[in-house]
Order: sequence, then C-alpha cells, then structure tokens
Amino acid sequence: MTSNRILPMSRAISEAIAQEMRTDPSVFVMGEDIGAYGGIFGATSGLLDEFGDGRVRDTPISETGFIGAGVGAAMSGMRPIVELMFVDFFGVCMDSIYNLAAKNTYFSGGNYKVPMVIMTATGGGYSDAGQHSQTLHGTFAHLPGMKVVAPSNAYDAKGLMATAIRDDSPVMFMFHKGLQGLAWMASPDGAATVVPEDTYAIPFGQAKVVREGKDATIVTLSMMVHHALDAAEALAKEGIEAEVIDLRTIVPLDRDTILKSVAKTGRLIVVDEDYKSFGLTGEIIATVAEHDPTCLKSAPRRLAVPDVPIPYSRVMEQFVLPNAKTIADSVRASVKGA
Amino acid sequence: MPSKSQVLWMYEVMEKARYYEDTMAAVYMEGKSPKFDIGAGTVPGEMHLAAGQEPCAAGVCVHLRPDDAVTATHRPHHVAIAKGVDLKKMTAEIFGKAEGLAGGRGGHMHLLDPAANFSCSGIIAQGTSPAVGAALATKMKGTDAVAVAYLGDGAANQGGFHEALNLAALWKLPVIFVIEDNGWGISVSKEKSTSVPDNSVRAAGYGIPGVHIAENDTLKLFDAAKEAVARARRGEGPTLIEVETYRYYGHFQGDPETYRPKGEVAALKAKDPIKRLRDAAIADGTMTEAEADAALARAKAEVDEAFAFARAATEPAPEDALTAVFA
Amino acid sequence: MTDIIVPEGLWDADVTPEGIVSNWFFADGATVSKDSVVAEIMVEKSTFDIETPTGGVLKHSVPKDGVIRPGTVIGTVNAG
Repeated sequence: MTSNRILPMSRAISEAIAQEMRTDPSVFVMGEDIGAYGGIFGATSGLLDEFGDGRVRDTPISETGFIGAGVGAAMSGMRPIVELMFVDFFGVCMDSIYNLAAKNTYFSGGNYKVPMVIMTATGGGYSDAGQHSQTLHGTFAHLPGMKVVAPSNAYDAKGLMATAIRDDSPVMFMFHKGLQGLAWMASPDGAATVVPEDTYAIPFGQAKVVREGKDATIVTLSMMVHHALDAAEALAKEGIEAEVIDLRTIVPLDRDTILKSVAKTGRLIVVDEDYKSFGLTGEIIATVAEHDPTCLKSAPRRLAVPDVPIPYSRVMEQFVLPNAKTIADSVRASVKGA
Repeated sequence: MPSKSQVLWMYEVMEKARYYEDTMAAVYMEGKSPKFDIGAGTVPGEMHLAAGQEPCAAGVCVHLRPDDAVTATHRPHHVAIAKGVDLKKMTAEIFGKAEGLAGGRGGHMHLLDPAANFSCSGIIAQGTSPAVGAALATKMKGTDAVAVAYLGDGAANQGGFHEALNLAALWKLPVIFVIEDNGWGISVSKEKSTSVPDNSVRAAGYGIPGVHIAENDTLKLFDAAKEAVARARRGEGPTLIEVETYRYYGHFQGDPETYRPKGEVAALKAKDPIKRLRDAAIADGTMTEAEADAALARAKAEVDEAFAFARAATEPAPEDALTAVFA
Repeated sequence: MTDIIVPEGLWDADVTPEGIVSNWFFADGATVSKDSVVAEIMVEKSTFDIETPTGGVLKHSVPKDGVIRPGTVIGTVNAG
C-alpha cells in the first residue's frame, strides 16, 4: 500500500518504536518525561497509552542509574530504548555509555550482547546555550563499540530506528530537536516527509546522495543536510552543481559513497554542527586523503562550530553555526579555486 | 525570629523576585504569539521561572554575606536576586546583550557573577559539588564563609548530589544544601520519582542534620537556615534542608502542563507565601502597611529599570562568540 | 464537500483567542480516509490533533502556521 501521509520526525520515531514493541515483548522504553509527556521532543508520544507504564517507564532524574540499568537489562535478554533527554547531559552518565554499553561485548569476547538504543536530542539554533545545544556526533563516534545514527528526515528516522532496535549492539540514536516537527520549534520543510504506515528498516552504513551534482561534494548529516540542500539550490542558479551526501549513520560510516562522489567531483566540503577540531569533518577529509589525495582538485574545506561552546545570544549563535550562505560560500571558493 | 529589618529585606526580595518572573513571563511571549516558537522573540531559548519559590531564596540568603558562595539551578532568577547579582547585567544577559554578565554568551541558565559569589548551571544537581569546593576553599583559607547549594527535589535522585553530601559531611565543610521541592521534575511528580516522601531524611545517611520545612513557610525556613549557617560558620559541618515550595509556572515557558492536576496552581496561589509573610508581619506589627507598600514599589521600580536597561542595551558583535573561551 | 472545523471548547478561547495550524499531515490535494488525523493545531502551549469527519480529497484552507480560532474551517474534504 502506498501512503501519502506526511509525518514529522518525532511521530515517525514513536511509530517505529510502537511497531517494534508490538512484535517484540523484550522492547521497552525508559527515560525522563517519556511517559505521560511523550518525551520532551515527542519521540515517545502515544506509547504510554498503548503499552502502559510497565513498558514505558518514566524515570527519576538519574541518568547514571537508568542508563546503567539499560545496559544490565540488555545483557539480560531485553531490548531497552533509553532516552537521554539532551545529549549534553551525557556528562553525568558517560561511564554507563562508553565503559559499559560500548565495551561489554568486547570484554566478553562477543559472548554478551548489549542490544540497547540510547535515543537523544541534539542541536542548537534556538538560543538554548552551551549545555543544551551541542550535537557531539564526534564524541560518540570516536569511542569504539557504539553505532551512531543521526537522521535528517522522518522517513529515514523511522527506518533507522527499526534497525537500531533490532541491532544487537548499542546504538546512539541522535535526533536533532529542530527536525522533530514540534509545534513549538521551527523545523525545515524537508524534515517532515511521507512515511509509510508499514514497518520498514533502513540498513546502517548506507549514506544517501540526496542531490546529485558534478562540481563539488558536500558531505553532511542531520540538520545540516537541509542547509546544504538550500546552498546547492542557490549554487545551481550560478551554474555550480553540488552533490549532497546525507551520511545518515556515522558508525558505520559509508566511506565508499563519499569516495565515489569525490572521485567524480574532485572537490570536498564537509559540514557538521559539531565542534570543528578532532571530529567528523576531519575524519571525512582524512578518509579521502588516505584513499587518494590526487582526486582532489582543490583543498578540502570544512564548516563546523569553531571550537567554542555554543553561545546563547542569537547573533553569536548564528555566527558559529554553519548555514546555507556559509556553505554556498565555501563551495563557491572551492570550485573557483580561491 | 527575624528582626524588623530582616523581615523587610525578605519581603522586598520576594516581591522583587515575583515581579521579575511575572515581567519575564510577559516579555518572553513577545514575538511568540500566536505561533509559539521557542527560538523567536525578544528573549529566546528555554525559560524556567521560579514564581512561588521565593521563600527558598529569601529565607536562606538573608543570612548570607557577600563572601558566602551560592550555586543555583536551571531556575535561578530568584536566588540570583536574593544573593545580590546585579539585576541590570543579569537581565541584559537574559536578553543576550553585550552589557550582560557574560556579554550574552551564557543566557538565563548560565548566570555567573563573581561580584556576588554566585553561579548556576543547567545540569541537574551539578551545582552541589562546586558548592562543596567553595566551602573547602574557605576552610583552607581559614575564613568563616559558607557555601549554599540549591537543587530541586528531582535533583536529589542524582548521584552527584549524594557524592557531594558525603564529601561535605566527611570533611565537615561549611555547606548548606537547600532542596527546593516544588513537587515536580518536569512532568514526573516527586512521588513517582523519589523513594522517600521527604528528602531531608537522606541527611541521616551521611550523619548530618536534615530539616524539613512544610508549606513554603518563609519564617520557619528563616529559623532553620539561621541555625544551619551558624553551625557551618562554627565549623560543625553541613546541613540539608528541604523546603516544600510551589511552582506556579510550567517547567519551562511552553510546557503544556497536561500532566498537572487541574486546580493545583490555583490551590497553591491561594496559599501564596509572599502574601502570607506580608499579612503576618503587618498583623504582628513587624511591618506597617506603608512600609510594605514602599518596599513593593521599590522592588517593582528596580525590576522595571533592569528590563529597560536590557532593552536599550546593545547586541553583541557576532565575532564576540570566539572570545572568552580561555582565561 | 465537508468542512474540517476547529472544534469549539478545545481550549479556553476567552484567555487565548487564537492559535495556529502547526502541522498538516497530508498535502493539499491528497486523498484522505475518514477519521484520519489530518492536522495538528497549537494554542499557546498546547497541541491538538484534528481528524477529518469524512474521506476524500483534502484541500487546505489555512496553511501551516496560519492563524485559527474555534470554528475556523482549516480545510475541506471533497468526497468526489
């Protein structure tokens, strides 16, 4: 059955969770305000009514406790989805995430599985300042043992969440607040998409070429996909055809799609809402440089937060976040060899 | 019992904090109606208001000196006002202006003012250990200054809080932990998140005094805080105080509050702590009607002036984002 | 043709007279089935789902972010 229903990303995520919960009794959800409230960013809306408070468990503000409990439950035959309300709050519970969830499979020589999803809200752009606006893609991708997902739209979010829940390894599912389609937060038009009612899964490690072009490759993810598409649209009017790659998952990373595109265009611009140094942008550029430095016709470029905490003030925050204009400027400079 | 000047001080601080929050609530909605967009308007971002929680600020800070340190929460305005944070600079910070405490870098959840020995953080319970550190510093320096850590009832379930309690008790540090129990951790009620009805009993686990203040009672808190601060100054160690307080607004402005029982806020407002203090003080002759009115007028004028200052203040330069990362 | 109307009494319109259409779940011109949730409205801080009383071809009368009041016709469904 083809569907014409348009869902915001928040409802696509909660629908994926509900569908997995219907077929697999080991799936359950824990987190702060995920019950009656439906998740501060709507990712668990409707779940309490359907599944009850045994499987949809509001927790105290005790991330170390309930994320650690998620690890133990996952090692004991359950498939917990735990919500870390803002990714910025990882500071109080990181041991459970990177020393336990991410390593216990390795420490057991593969004998223990930790099939757990840590679902968390990322991103800024609405003046929530430095403890509530980070993306931290690189922080989690850097540490071995976790898969890292960051969708840009509702269709991908539903399919990637299904895959995340079924995966036997811990998955960081990082959704951008500004893509959720919340009534109270601005969202780009492309984030809400047609979402089939039926269950479907999107495999990890498959980036998506969301716009084809021959002159330059923009590699990005999450919210920045929309800014990159706007930039590509503007550049097309000047005769510059930019190809835009939505990574969708960072671990595993689809290096082949990046290499194939850069081999075609010869120019690389990487855009990330995370901090610039020691992160995703450097990793993508290194991937190309290691594979074949001669494929680049000009120096690779990157746009990311310039290694400062996310500022509160609107003008300062907008200054540090990449946007369609700065992306277009960067592509233009790359193509024109400036 | 507080002196006349202490009663007048607490009353004025509470009225100032209340009027500040109510003014902020209105300003916050500028540019957000009919479409509520959290990132739009005069004051963007999350906004956590403390109307109803004023006793927690005034009843404790009345005993503090400028050299005493205070750490507050994501809901910090009332405590900042009671601790003497510069109201104009604080408001300009919340407006994201260059004249703000941090030049607009921090915003409403990150009001840091060394002049008032005040800081706060948006991460639950994480201001408790820094208060322990401030107390350690005063002890090492040999002064009798104290530190006060504010936290919410939801924060009492964070590991960091318990580690801070143990450390403070172990080293007999001059810290007062003040739990503002407004009954809610966003949408989750205290009874659904906390294994004991009264967090002050948790003090026993660390061998320190625990005090419970019922019904948002400013005068009872005054007495308890007086003893806790005196005990800390004498070098006898920390105290834990839990205050049953009220949250009139939602967790944040924009919170639909569908989880909240109908009539709860109206019932709380009927027991408003500021009115109770005013009525009691006038009834027992501590304060005259005219003195109370004058205090209220002063409080409102100061707040109005701070908001006018913030409105007239200048936008920071975008590149200012790149400075002040390092000392 | 059937109107999709913002119901009276969803919220206290004396306090907050106006809200907005915060989301359309079907595009203008899409075919919808009876009782589908077709839109979400937001009034001050609360959101409400709006269902279509009949099936057919949906036409938006109020765009996303457009202002609504109780009784506003936000769209129509033509059974065709």
